[in-house]
Amino acid sequence: MLLREVEYARPSSAAEAVRLLDSRDGARALAGGQTLVNVMKARAASPDVLVDLNRIDDLRLISVSGDTLQIGAMATYTQIMAASEVEVSRPILGEVSAQIADVQVRNRGTIGGNVCSNDPTNHLPPLLVALEATFTILGSGGERVVSAKEFFLGVYMTAVGEGELLTSISVPAAANAADGFASITIGRDGTCIVNAAASLEGESPRVAIGCVDAVPVLVRPGGTDEESVHQAVQGARLEPPSDVHASAEYRLHLAEICAVRALRQAEERGR
Amino acid sequence: MSTQDATASRTIIVEVNGERYEREVDARRLLIHFLRDDLDLTGSHIGCDTGNCGACSLLLDGTLVKSCMLLAVQADGSKLDTVEGLAAGGELDPLQQAFSDHHALQCGYCTPGMLMSATALLRTTPRPSEEEIRKGLQGNICRCTGYWNIIEAVKAASGQEVSVDE
Amino acid sequence: MSETLAPEQAIVVEETGAPQRGWAGQNVPRKEDKRLVQGEGLFVDDMKRHGMGYAHYVRSPYAHANIVSIDVSKAESLRGVFGTLIGEEVAALTEPFFQLATPPGAHIKDYALAVGKVRHVGEPVAIVVAATRELARDAAELVEVEYEPLPALVDARQALAEDAPLLHDEAGSNLAWSGLYEWGDVDSAFAEADRIVKITELHFNRFNSTPLECDGALVEFNRGTGQWTIYTNNQFPGFAAIMMGPAMRSGLDKLRFVTQDIGGGFGNKITSHPQLVAICLLARKLNRPIQWTEWRTDFHLTMSHGNERWFQDTEVAVKCDGTLLGFRTKALDDAGAYLRYEPLGGVIWAQVTPGCYRWKHVSLDFTQVVTNKAPCSPNRGYSRMQHLWFTERVIDIVAHELELDPVEVRKRNYVRADEMPYTTPNGCVYDSGDYARMLDVALELIGYERLAERRQDADSRGKLLGFGIGSTLDSGTNNFGQSRLINPELQFSGNNEVATVKLDIFGEIVVTLGTTPQGQGHETTAAMVVADIIGVSPDDVNVRAGHDSYWNSHAGFSGTYASQFAVTGLGAVKGASEKLAGEIRKLGSVVLGCGVDDLELAEGQVRMKGNPEAALPLMACGAIINANNAGLPEDLDVTLNARYVFRPQFEVPDVERKYGNLTLTYAAQVHVALVEVDSETGVYEVVEYAAVDDCGTRIHPQIVEGQVMGATAHALGAATHETFAYDEDGNLLTPNFYDYHVPHAMDMPPLKTGYIESPSPFTPLGTKGMGEGGGAGIHAVCAALQDALKGRGRPIVYDSFNPYHRVWELLQDPEASRVRVEVVAR
Repeated sequence: MLLREVEYARPSSAAEAVRLLDSRDGARALAGGQTLVNVMKARAASPDVLVDLNRIDDLRLISVSGDTLQIGAMATYTQIMAASEVEVSRPILGEVSAQIADVQVRNRGTIGGNVCSNDPTNHLPPLLVALEATFTILGSGGERVVSAKEFFLGVYMTAVGEGELLTSISVPAAANAADGFASITIGRDGTCIVNAAASLEGESPRVAIGCVDAVPVLVRPGGTDEESVHQAVQGARLEPPSDVHASAEYRLHLAEICAVRALRQAEERGR
Repeated sequence: MSTQDATASRTIIVEVNGERYEREVDARRLLIHFLRDDLDLTGSHIGCDTGNCGACSLLLDGTLVKSCMLLAVQADGSKLDTVEGLAAGGELDPLQQAFSDHHALQCGYCTPGMLMSATALLRTTPRPSEEEIRKGLQGNICRCTGYWNIIEAVKAASGQEVSVDE
Repeated sequence: MSETLAPEQAIVVEETGAPQRGWAGQNVPRKEDKRLVQGEGLFVDDMKRHGMGYAHYVRSPYAHANIVSIDVSKAESLRGVFGTLIGEEVAALTEPFFQLATPPGAHIKDYALAVGKVRHVGEPVAIVVAATRELARDAAELVEVEYEPLPALVDARQALAEDAPLLHDEAGSNLAWSGLYEWGDVDSAFAEADRIVKITELHFNRFNSTPLECDGALVEFNRGTGQWTIYTNNQFPGFAAIMMGPAMRSGLDKLRFVTQDIGGGFGNKITSHPQLVAICLLARKLNRPIQWTEWRTDFHLTMSHGNERWFQDTEVAVKCDGTLLGFRTKALDDAGAYLRYEPLGGVIWAQVTPGCYRWKHVSLDFTQVVTNKAPCSPNRGYSRMQHLWFTERVIDIVAHELELDPVEVRKRNYVRADEMPYTTPNGCVYDSGDYARMLDVALELIGYERLAERRQDADSRGKLLGFGIGSTLDSGTNNFGQSRLINPELQFSGNNEVATVKLDIFGEIVVTLGTTPQGQGHETTAAMVVADIIGVSPDDVNVRAGHDSYWNSHAGFSGTYASQFAVTGLGAVKGASEKLAGEIRKLGSVVLGCGVDDLELAEGQVRMKGNPEAALPLMACGAIINANNAGLPEDLDVTLNARYVFRPQFEVPDVERKYGNLTLTYAAQVHVALVEVDSETGVYEVVEYAAVDDCGTRIHPQIVEGQVMGATAHALGAATHETFAYDEDGNLLTPNFYDYHVPHAMDMPPLKTGYIESPSPFTPLGTKGMGEGGGAGIHAVCAALQDALKGRGRPIVYDSFNPYHRVWELLQDPEASRVRVEVVAR
């Protein structure tokens, strides 16, 4: 409800942000704040320094170059929904962003924040895994690019290390891409109980399932028919958590359903 | 001290409803508490701990946000619009009047945030459909009205016809 | 999206005591709105006092533990901290709160802070007061408490087992209260039955109304006079005072309660007296105003959970045609860790013993126990909702099992309009109503004749369509004598409310009330009643918001709760206005030189009937009495300051037979719902909904409808999403709005509303209290789900709470739920 004492800095460049993150122990990036501020209110985590990224315009750029759509880590969900580049090159990103929380959260929350917090119920981690996104991380030693598989490491844990900053996320540009997303939520457009993202772009069907493990679980069904999807999900031997919203058994069942629905949606779009 | 260094407090300048305020504030102070406790602007309310209820909603540089998830220091240099600024010279604005006409408030606690969300909606979508209204108000919880009258009020304020009430 | 259907036939309005329809019946713009839409309402947390300290609670992380030690020294040494309070001090300075229960519940010791032991997660253990909210929060972390954890009791069904953890040593048992209620001749009913429908266990879930504003107070202590001023949002100051005074060893006049705007109550702001006592003690100890606002998490952890109730070993005696003869059941109520307003829930259900139906023979064995969960206290529909849900489940399951039409079965068994006023098996009197007609209106609104068509359409989209009815009663204006059925030694009975109306020096008409509205529009409806009687417009009537003990316009039962304002509050306003009107006429008769009966009040004047020129403006009346009274007759008994105590006609109930009228009025609602279930996932949606209400005379139709809508939204949330779920260690799994999903604008179905008006013959204005709503939405959704799943093994809906995973379970294993039901032919 109320934060502990904290120091605050507001750099105007990514380089300056990295300098601050690197130079202070317990320094943490403040993106949209729609997750981090609540965590700090509950005092579940209390960074010593908040490095506010909200004035770094370079981190909000959305652009297409060649066959790659690049989205700055500080692009808000609202920006992504409104960007013609996204609409044209990978519309599923805008459609799924529109399902996250509510207007107020979408106006401040960012794609970078969503993936870096890596809450198992978040929408974008499984989506970006299905789309084979890559993640550009800036550190004091320079930039590196990481695949989706290497990016999501555990609950609330990603490849972004201490003193580093996620600067952008890239996905292959694919107009009319055969992508799909399905979820079962608490109330309409609420927190996900289970979600799944699917894509038929690339070599073979990809279905990434969220809410069932510490990180999105990628399965590769042999075909797009329902039976293949069921087999692929069962083959993943999921052990989802049990909580007040769903038992492990129910989540497992919903995982199969969402995987089937996501892939069906991808197929329909691809036509 | 450059603005780029980290500090535990700083002096900020915010404009709220057209009036300028300069205050020193701790970095940890939430924007909603700054407004309510430091500026005595108690129109925006607090209803939860997790950013879910929307009672604290206001416009930050024209964008609808929940002020319980912003630090006051983040609003430095910004223009804020809160419920206190809606009625010009004591005249209720069309949304406020419509809320009253359509009984879109009972206890009034969610109302400031609800009005700001509706204001933001009508600026981006001047004649919203019912579905658009519901989506635009999704981030504001009301426990008194069930939302039906609120949706009607927003429709009416936008100049669209509403269903006939007794 | 929301439409209102007016009844087609003319409403029969009984002429007894009904006022002429002037303002009453119109949708007068609400007086409250102007300030509320501008953010200029005054809610408790808005208030500031110079030098005030902010209070932050230290709370137990354990469901059940002994407190070994508390060390506040580090907290107190933090700069900016003004002081602390711990249980030991509270135990020395106060008496334990008065217990309504008989032994063993009577022996429970309940203080403003935990003393020696904690009994639920979140229980207050200590309080820190500091110069800012943040510092108080920081300092709270420095309070060191050592606990010795104990096993936790979280299932009420285990509470009376031999090895159950014991919560209150002084009580020696986890039993709070028990009582057997029996009326009619249950054995003969069962002998006469064609079928006995047995239901092993039904469960009404734990949730509440989560008003958006949490509890709070700002307390000042005057050392010179020993007077506390308690600015708060407690919605029942009459009850708070009665509990706090003896506990604080203080006369009630030293406890001044002041309420202003309140952000929702729904019953959940009745039992904040423990917190108020603690803040009062701190205000005195630290000699400064103390500010306390509850956090959302604190509210979920500690405040006012609705009664969780099991109905076990139910047996229903039925004829083949669906006529209900009688029932037996065992009600097990989980009161949580302390009895704050309980065990009144153990009798309040009896206001609606047969629900809407003509059951004559009833046996209900009521047991209430304590558990390591948050204390229960009134929640919208308090204790009647649980029982009405039970009666609706029963009739729905009976219809389901006997393959009877749920509409026909209800109509067969509804109390009929021509039987009103109707005396129930335990002597309660349903004042008026026509439930069958309300059902017809609801069916028309929902398009019932097209049901088959809609089922087919849903089927073509892979969905299961279900139709359900929820009938309910909103009993209002308690006879507090029912408390003697819980404890014959209690000295409460009847009910009351107070209002004052005065005509002031410049002709201002000012009204004060004892009520504490939280959105029900009391300022507006009170003004309408006054305006009709004094002959002015509601704009001319100034109704002071809220409650203030200093106004002395309150009595022992003052507050806003239990659906009674339209009767008690407006009854008091009517009485005071009539008194004032009488005095104005008396004065007018002296000044104008005529008889009192020759005068009328209209258009802001007192004037001669048939000769409007002979008039005295009300302003003149006020001026004469207050500032210009020389020459008036010595015996003129006119003060123009009328105080009236409304007292409904009640007798003390017969404690032996547990018989008597427990409530003055019975508003009713009949809801119908259509749901569509996705059989693959158990996810469902309410696709169509209609609510029909009857609250007697409607003073302000828009306000009435607003209450119906709000109650519907609460019920829909409780049916599908809202639950206070605990794990086996007594941790609350839904302590905030992230996990406890409150429906938002996208979650609400399309709604149609309708109404009929059956004025109450027992009230001054023909009004019936309303607002709680009796949970009709829960009953309707349960029935609709059961109907939707009929073709999938006929599972039984046995819980009031049906989130998607439960529906899925019913689909997966219908037999598991069917095991609970057995139909025995006689």
